Amino acid sequence: MNFIKVFASSGPTVYVAPEKVFTLYGWPISNSMIYGWAVILILFFLFIWAGRHVKIHPGKGFIGLIEEGVNFITNLVENSFNNPEVGRKYIPYFVTLFFFILFNNWTELLPVINDAFNYHKVPLLRPFTADLNATFAMGLITMGLVYYASVRESGGLKNYFQHFFVGSPKNPLFLIIGLLEMFTDLTRVISLSLRLYLNVTIGMIVIDVFAYLGHIIAPISALPFYLIEIFICMLQAYIFTILSVMYLAVAVNHSAEHSSPKDEDEYLTEDVVPERIRVESGSVGTAGGA
Amino acid sequence: MVNITDIAAAVDTTIIGKGLMIGGGFIGPGIGIGLIGGNYLQAVGRNPEAAKFLGQALIFVAIVELFGLLAFASIFIVK
Repeated sequence: MNFIKVFASSGPTVYVAPEKVFTLYGWPISNSMIYGWAVILILFFLFIWAGRHVKIHPGKGFIGLIEEGVNFITNLVENSFNNPEVGRKYIPYFVTLFFFILFNNWTELLPVINDAFNYHKVPLLRPFTADLNATFAMGLITMGLVYYASVRESGGLKNYFQHFFVGSPKNPLFLIIGLLEMFTDLTRVISLSLRLYLNVTIGMIVIDVFAYLGHIIAPISALPFYLIEIFICMLQAYIFTILSVMYLAVAVNHSAEHSSPKDEDEYLTEDVVPERIRVESGSVGTAGGA
Repeated sequence: MVNITDIAAAVDTTIIGKGLMIGGGFIGPGIGIGLIGGNYLQAVGRNPEAAKFLGQALIFVAIVELFGLLAFASIFIVK
């Protein structure tokens, strides 16, 4: 009974938000920022090193894995656009985004986070993506790029705003639907950032809880959740990237369709074709009859 | 005779609220993810070439999952 009471009274220490570690020239530096900078430095040197060792025939080693990832995102971006030339300009940003989020998510699984290292009773390291400020900043920058690029690619503000409306905005129904579409467009920053932050933070908490419940056999009880988290971290990086690609691609593709309406000749020729066939078959029929 | 206000004061309503929140908040995403997975498998069963759309199915899983995570996150806000 006492055993159960211990579980009920005090749970594992859970950190939901980042904490200030020290101040630099009046700027508060939080523990997630330190880990974020560390990941940036590691990624910077890793990718310079990997870029120098790329071969024509990729091996199965670590570089092959990185190449596979870059290739995957490149294909994803190119195939999302009707015109792959447009998408090719934005590939560097999305590849960077994918690898940055992926490596930041995976640092959540290293045993150096939270209570491992303390600095004046404040945890020194915390994953960058487990901080709502960080993911919100990423969401803002990404959606800023999406808005800027979709206005530029669709050729002017007028074409861009036209893609929200199904028909003419003078129709009250289409006007309301268009305004709703615009509103959902604005909530994307929040949904993108909240999804990433909550997935990473809650994954961290779930691992904490099950390691605590396991007590002595903590490595075994937390193992399944570790394995799930490896997959979920990858999935969240993929989803953040593909959702931002889709937001951009939908805006660009839609406005391209709106701004260059199909020539009516195309439809006309399609209508003409069956008639011509009928005429020919009729003539054949009469020829056979004769 | 036990006064009802004493009972109300003795019960920790925060725990009940958190329990209801988790339970109610996870029903919807549970149904949603089940529908997505079931329909994906049905599509693959009818047309095995649809198996390549797993990535797109996972996007919808992530969109649905957000609402469950919001419910989970709210238990830290309730005091």
